[in-house]
Amino acid sequence: MSENVIELEHVSFKYKGSEEGLLNDTSLTVTNGEALLLTGASGSGKTTILRLINGLIPHYYQGDVEGKVTVAGREIAKTELYELAGVVGTVFQNPRSQFFSIDTDGEIVFGPENIGLDPKEIQKRKEDVVEEMHIGKLLGRSLFELSGGEKQSIACASVSALLPEIILLDEPSSNLDQGAIAKLAEQIRMWKEEGKTIVISEHRLWYLKNLVDRVIYMDHGHIAHEWCGEEFADFTPDQIEYLKLRPLNVPDILSPGCGGDCDCNGSCKVDLSTPDPAGGITLKKFYFSYHRNPYLFWKKSFSEDDSNLSLCIPRLVLPKGAVIGVIGKNGTGKSTFLKCVCGLEKDCRGIIECDGIEYRGRKRLAFSYMVMQDVNHQLFTDSVESEVLLSMKEDDKERCDKILDSLGILEFKDKHPMALSGGQKQRVAIASAMAADAKLMLFDEPTSGLDYSHMEKVGQLLKNLASSGNTVLVATHDPELIELCCDYVLCIENGKLGYMKRV
Amino acid sequence: MKLDPRTKLYMILIVSAVVMMSATTPFLWAVRIIMTLIPIILLVIEKKYTSAFGFTFLYTAALVMTFCFLSESSSSFFKTFVTGYSGIVVQFMPCLITAWYVVRTTKIDEFMSAMQKMHVPDGIAISLAVVMRFFPTIKEEYSAISDAMKMRGIALGGGNAGKMIEYRMIPLLFSCVNIGDELSAAAITRGLGGKVKRTSVEELKLRVSDWLLITAFTAAAVVFVLFKYFL
Amino acid sequence: MSSETVTNNNKLKAKDFITVGIFTAIIFVVEFACGMLGYIHPFIVASYVIMIPLVGAIPMMLFYTKVQKFGMITIMSVLIAIIMFVTGMGFLGAPLIILAGVVADLIAKSGKYKSFKKTMFSYGVFCLWICANYFPVVITAEDYRKNLADGGYSAEYCNNLFLAINYKTIGILLVLCFVFGLIGAVIGKAVVKKHFEKAGIV
Repeated sequence: MSENVIELEHVSFKYKGSEEGLLNDTSLTVTNGEALLLTGASGSGKTTILRLINGLIPHYYQGDVEGKVTVAGREIAKTELYELAGVVGTVFQNPRSQFFSIDTDGEIVFGPENIGLDPKEIQKRKEDVVEEMHIGKLLGRSLFELSGGEKQSIACASVSALLPEIILLDEPSSNLDQGAIAKLAEQIRMWKEEGKTIVISEHRLWYLKNLVDRVIYMDHGHIAHEWCGEEFADFTPDQIEYLKLRPLNVPDILSPGCGGDCDCNGSCKVDLSTPDPAGGITLKKFYFSYHRNPYLFWKKSFSEDDSNLSLCIPRLVLPKGAVIGVIGKNGTGKSTFLKCVCGLEKDCRGIIECDGIEYRGRKRLAFSYMVMQDVNHQLFTDSVESEVLLSMKEDDKERCDKILDSLGILEFKDKHPMALSGGQKQRVAIASAMAADAKLMLFDEPTSGLDYSHMEKVGQLLKNLASSGNTVLVATHDPELIELCCDYVLCIENGKLGYMKRV
Repeated sequence: MKLDPRTKLYMILIVSAVVMMSATTPFLWAVRIIMTLIPIILLVIEKKYTSAFGFTFLYTAALVMTFCFLSESSSSFFKTFVTGYSGIVVQFMPCLITAWYVVRTTKIDEFMSAMQKMHVPDGIAISLAVVMRFFPTIKEEYSAISDAMKMRGIALGGGNAGKMIEYRMIPLLFSCVNIGDELSAAAITRGLGGKVKRTSVEELKLRVSDWLLITAFTAAAVVFVLFKYFL
Repeated sequence: MSSETVTNNNKLKAKDFITVGIFTAIIFVVEFACGMLGYIHPFIVASYVIMIPLVGAIPMMLFYTKVQKFGMITIMSVLIAIIMFVTGMGFLGAPLIILAGVVADLIAKSGKYKSFKKTMFSYGVFCLWICANYFPVVITAEDYRKNLADGGYSAEYCNNLFLAINYKTIGILLVLCFVFGLIGAVIGKAVVKKHFEKAGIV
């Protein structure tokens, strides 16, 4: 059984109104039951290939297509999208935006209902999928209260329920932690065993290396290299580095203890007061809970003894001028920790002490600055320059230019922040943090979905920020980033301090 | 207890019709209050205790205040204020509670098949489903944006109303457009908008409880109109 | 070979319905936020006709850039009517809302959804739906007034409310809606240009 289920013949594509071709004269065939990995830098055409296969190009994203795409015997250009629904299934990058229903049950059956299957058959498929993926505990819940990993499981289930012969995954791990990625890998393995044809576009490689049959490396809209799976799994770190790919092997940052750098059998918990309090930033009494007992008219401040605390940090000293990686599973309180530290959760009455000055309440907002995971939320104005000036108490254009220059985005000064690429937007946000004179900078997942060279840049940037005297807290799922730039690792477990250690 | 979405819509119809007519006698008030109690009881059955309790508390408080303090000549500022507001609450609460119950307990799936049964065009059903799906999204996005504004101290737009609106609206619109784009792509690749007639696993059947409620609400409406205009 | 994509028909597709849904949700949130202010003083209730057209113009002008086929604005008005009904604002205003939607759609269509002048008028007409909020007050005025008084509104609130909203002023309110719709369209267009066009997403 090695017939070709996907064929691209000399395909070129460029989006409407764009000069640059995203894909140039590419030919590709995928045989039945094959698992293919597409990798390469951002913008190299990986996503374009997926969109050509699932028909979003040309039916949804319009542009100039040349060449012919055939999937499972159907010529895509002449097939309506809904006819492809039972043939090609796609798992997208962002778990937040790809569900249509508000409840998990409705989402799983959404596809089969759309193609008009018999309700009994749908019910059966749903039960099969739930059983197969062990997601029984997610049923009957609102999709809005699930974690990213759980949402992605539901997305996989929803695709599975359509029983497509071809499954596409577009950077599915971007927003997941290591545990959730392992689950995703398990799911892909299962699909493979069922004989489905799988095409994955991905930057994170470690979870896929023994899973894929073939690897294609894209570069500027061309297929630059092609390897078989075994060949790829044996790549040396040098080769990977040369290709600017993310590493194939990463330490498991979520398993507690130490990454093997000492022989303590996991009991190596560095004394929390190691950094000298005089030269550090001290966090005191950070307690917070999302599940407070409802009082009507007054709010009790939290204390250490409260049950059900989402965050419970009596005291913590952060070393100044260092990059501190904040790790922990999805939903254990990393984001809560960051939000509390920078003062966004009003009910958390924690105190920050630095250089003998205490910052309480709203003052914490001025002391720290958070660059959010979705940086689009914090860009307000119509040019990069005004964005930075907005953060200054008095407009100082010279200083603004200096900041922008130090971040390498001076040339975009007059552009609209939203017209920039993801990495550049992030820099704009950092620029406004610098303009606001924040001493403590917090980053929430700054490298999710970035390729290696962009991640390297972010790592360098964080280091630079730290060496110019800022303290940087970065919540991340990327072991690679921690290796690149972190001085310390701080682990949060169920809202409590797990450990903090030097890297 | 599962109710048919059509029953729920009927409930809203009756309740909003009844609150349009003023209750003039104690008996009419009683009818109205009983009608309000039904969705509260339904909320309790659905285990939404917090909202059920909250609504009951507010509604009772408003009723008590209206009846105790109200007279058309209420003069002191405080009294005017309080009675005015409890009046609004009493007026709109029945609708609000019913609407809340319906929105919180109806799945998009059920809703779409109810729409189909009532021969509402697919386009409207899809759009409405998106509206329901999008309210929580807007809430999520807005809270992230307002966090960002707090962090930069621009929540009040420097006292400029135009800026205040701009800072809220622009990032929100950018996010919504992005999410919408991805949402469409994800929905379309799963066959939304095809020519095939959509099916649903949510079986819509008017059960005994549905008929009971429909009868109860119809009766209440009829009694209300009879006693108000004819007796 | 095939660069002629399947854009053959003028029928609305799933994508269009989703777009309509999203913008309806946003418009409704705007309306709701403004509506909340109405609880402060009755005159604010009357000033909906100024606030909602102005604030709502930003999302609506963005919406107009995405409209290319007949029906999207009409569907939006139907949705607004349904939402108004479901959230307990009654069903008396539905005919006005839908009529405003259809006319607005026709006007915009006559400019092929491209001409700004037509878009401006279209939005002005569309804004008339806001007056549907007052329909309970106008149509059932006497009963409603009694109802309000019985319902616990102070005489002062009632008087103020009816001073601002009655048979005579509803005409003025409709005109105000239209005029501020036009002004809003100009402002909204400027904002779209300043942000969305500059960012290259429309």
